[in-house]
Amino acid sequence: MLRVDLTNRKSWYEDIPAELLHSYLGGRGLGVRLMREWYRLDPFDPAIPLIFAVGPLCGTPAPTAARLTVVSRSPLTGTIYDCSAGGRFAWRLKATGVDALMITGASATPVAIAVTPSGAEIVDVSRLRGKTVHETVSALFGRGSVAAIGPAGENGVLFANIMMGEGNSVGRGGLGAVMGAKGLKAVTVNGDRPVDIACRERFETARQDVMRLFRASPVIFGELGIAEYGTPALVDLMRQRRMAPTDNFRRTVFEESGNYSGPAIRRDFHAKKDGCYGCPIQCKKSTPSGEHLPEYETVSHFGGLNGNAGLAAIVKSNTLCNELGMDTISAAATLSAWGEARGRFLDGGEVQGLLADMAFRRGEGELLSLGSRRVAEALGRPGLSMSVKGLELPAYDPRGAYGMALAYCTSSRGGCHLRAYPISHEILRKPIATDRFSFSGKARIIAIAEDTNAAVDSLVACKFSFFGATLEEYAELLSATAGIDYSPQQLKEIGRRICLTERFYNCDNGFGVQDDILPERFFHESGSSGEGIEVPPVARMRFEEELQKYYRIRGLTPEGVFADPDFLLKQP
Amino acid sequence: MFDQIARYMNKLITDRSALAGKIAIAAQDDVLIVDGNPALTHLAGDILARLSCLGLVVAAPSLPFADFLVARASREESCIIPRDTETRTFLHDIPFLRREELGENAALDIARLLGSRKGVVVEGVGIVASGALTIEQAYINYSSIFHSTFVKYLQDLLHDGFLLPGEAEAFAGFRRDWLRPLSADGLSFRLGPLADPAVILDEIATVGRYTVERGLVDSFFGNISCRTGDVIYISQTAASLDALAGCIDPVPMDNSSTFGITASSELLAHRRIYEVSGAAVILHGHPKFAVVMSMECDETECTVKDCWKDCDRVRMLGDAPVVAGEIGAGGLAKRVPPVIAGPRRAVVYGHGVFTLGEKDFAEAFQAMVEVENWCREEYFRRVAERLTACRG
Ligand code: SF4
Ligand SMILES: [Zn+2]
Ligand SMILES: [Zn+2]
Repeated sequence: MLRVDLTNRKSWYEDIPAELLHSYLGGRGLGVRLMREWYRLDPFDPAIPLIFAVGPLCGTPAPTAARLTVVSRSPLTGTIYDCSAGGRFAWRLKATGVDALMITGASATPVAIAVTPSGAEIVDVSRLRGKTVHETVSALFGRGSVAAIGPAGENGVLFANIMMGEGNSVGRGGLGAVMGAKGLKAVTVNGDRPVDIACRERFETARQDVMRLFRASPVIFGELGIAEYGTPALVDLMRQRRMAPTDNFRRTVFEESGNYSGPAIRRDFHAKKDGCYGCPIQCKKSTPSGEHLPEYETVSHFGGLNGNAGLAAIVKSNTLCNELGMDTISAAATLSAWGEARGRFLDGGEVQGLLADMAFRRGEGELLSLGSRRVAEALGRPGLSMSVKGLELPAYDPRGAYGMALAYCTSSRGGCHLRAYPISHEILRKPIATDRFSFSGKARIIAIAEDTNAAVDSLVACKFSFFGATLEEYAELLSATAGIDYSPQQLKEIGRRICLTERFYNCDNGFGVQDDILPERFFHESGSSGEGIEVPPVARMRFEEELQKYYRIRGLTPEGVFADPDFLLKQP
Repeated sequence: MFDQIARYMNKLITDRSALAGKIAIAAQDDVLIVDGNPALTHLAGDILARLSCLGLVVAAPSLPFADFLVARASREESCIIPRDTETRTFLHDIPFLRREELGENAALDIARLLGSRKGVVVEGVGIVASGALTIEQAYINYSSIFHSTFVKYLQDLLHDGFLLPGEAEAFAGFRRDWLRPLSADGLSFRLGPLADPAVILDEIATVGRYTVERGLVDSFFGNISCRTGDVIYISQTAASLDALAGCIDPVPMDNSSTFGITASSELLAHRRIYEVSGAAVILHGHPKFAVVMSMECDETECTVKDCWKDCDRVRMLGDAPVVAGEIGAGGLAKRVPPVIAGPRRAVVYGHGVFTLGEKDFAEAFQAMVEVENWCREEYFRRVAERLTACRG
């Protein structure tokens, strides 16, 4: 592990005990474990760590595993926070011989950290103050792969991203603002050390197994799947399932969503395949000139959620957010809540003006930069923030998938779709279909999926792999790489430890059953029924019953907290 | 969850993959529940409590093939490696426990193996399969293991003959009592062309049910489609053939919408077959004898290493051409369309059968019955030949 103290401008190597690597794998798990002494600190406290942790498969040809996780505490939600990102950055970091980069302290002037196999150098980059992500990345080009913040991160926008030079983002919870508070404009990494694989033959067999499963998965390599159309392949499906959030979640069908569907984006922008380094799926799309095209959640939120049908404006908003270093889901959802409060959604042009104002925190952007919960509270309409724990809900209406409803609330980082990721089985039928309008068994399913995905995030593999492959094949890849046998069951147990650790941190910071709740709207208002599909409000009693089941499965009290205050001390 | 348990218990009996009375199913919600054979429920509960899974099936298969495979395996082996595509893709291999390896705490040993795999064979007990998210998933894993051990045993027998006492008798009993004649007699199909969407949906669901009821295909292993104009109505991925209502996607031929992203992984194959053949319907399933026979290649000087994927020859099983190619984006969609238009049927190496109907499902169903019957007869002919050769 490489540690950098920005206050004292010092850097040094520290060993991570092998036991911690065994018990937490890497990525999210390792980062979360390393936060144990610091998780109570305010996200803007200079002493709080910002941790970049790669996974044990990084640098190997394991499909979709050249990723890393960034961990700290979220200024938007106050929860422990992690986010995984692809791009070249992860393996370039790993190739400097480092599994984790832990940054603490703060610099008074803008600096960058340049990591090479010989250590870290702190570089003055005052000239990059206020520059966009693109300008920053270009300026640091010669130093390898870049992770940078834009004006939003520098100005403390609560949902500012850290952007990878290749267009990938560390999004949602505002870790860009944590980075900004440290005076850290960018991190560059430039390693070239190869990674050892203990047993090549075993590794290759497992890799072939994964590829076979990818080919057998319609969601991944199917002709309508994400390799072809990217995640906007979901636009038509969500419309058809009547769970596309529209008009700040007042409705669940947006008639004009076909304007920004996968085929429409391909047609209008000549989308070509793009994606994370070393990933065979290449689910991201970009224009022939290299402009990154938006993901499903982004098109849907700048689209239907804000009542906009214009694809060009949506693409522009996405590009703007990327340049300014701001989360698209939270930005669009905040505008939507604000729009509903004011009785009118903005048109595409007005949106773009406000996005810039948000990033620079000027005019009305000052308030909007705080995210929908604080905006709605300031306007005296707290019910209009469609968020859980202050994290804006993405583009999956919880009235259309009850596992999703539950998962938004149990997620350790707030209203996020990626923790238990029930969309996989409730909508995409992978690995098996479940009834989306039923709570039956969902508490157990969510708990198992949270554990599984915590392992995935610690490996760090991409969740989309699991529309085809399972932990069985990834456990093989890991065993072959490390030369130590891991079974899927062991990985799930590691995942469970990670989830509980996160929950413990949150509980210790005051979170409990009162925070594990959806916005009122979903319990009172129906979605848009029709075409033979009824979308009633979520039944509150059943929701609460299932949440209590979840607590029992997790060994928590009915208040959703730990009965044992020493839980953490009993963990490795 | 008790209703779910009852449902899959019933399915295991009606599809004749497990012995009635020798089945236990366990599930864990916030508490653990088990039902079924009293001796097995205890075991099932003990195993599931040790796993991060929702469902578990423990059952004695209706045929002793899995046990035979274990007994025939050499001492060093600890897993069965079947050769069909289903297993190769989704299970990889099937670990087993020998009778004498079962220690004091059988649940612990079985759970340890299940910690790495979706299912195991326990000699003298049966097939134990888990489902991470649902009971249905445990049922499917049980079904896959039943299917693949069936196929592998039949194939091994063809190559090595009987090796154990009791095998010949059991095999004769299987042929006499377990197998039933396959036919389309007495089934009623709607006459094509089918154009009304409601009728199409209903007919697909009906035909799906027929394939399972007639014992042609196991419920999770196949897909069905029907084309009218610019739309292909196709069963969804991971849908069970005997419960297709609500699980059929209308997919536009021109890919102007992506909501068929949940359609069967063979959507591309179906589309290309429609393009080259002018057929109106496609039926696809994994009848067992066709799967066995598709892997019987006589080629002696073949240099191909991976026959499933790379064999570019076209062999014949009766009137049906056999080609290689893996599921989904794995090449089957490229190799089947060129050979299927004329004979209106084709077999995929280690995988299953595609048949076409020019107007409706009557023709496609009949064709699948014919392919499987031909393979069945040919199989028994070859087994007899092989056994005589041994004796001689
Ligand atoms: S599937 Fe997409 S997001 Fe995942 S690693 Fe590949 S390109 Fe990146
Ligand atoms: Zn098939
Ligand atoms: Zn061959």
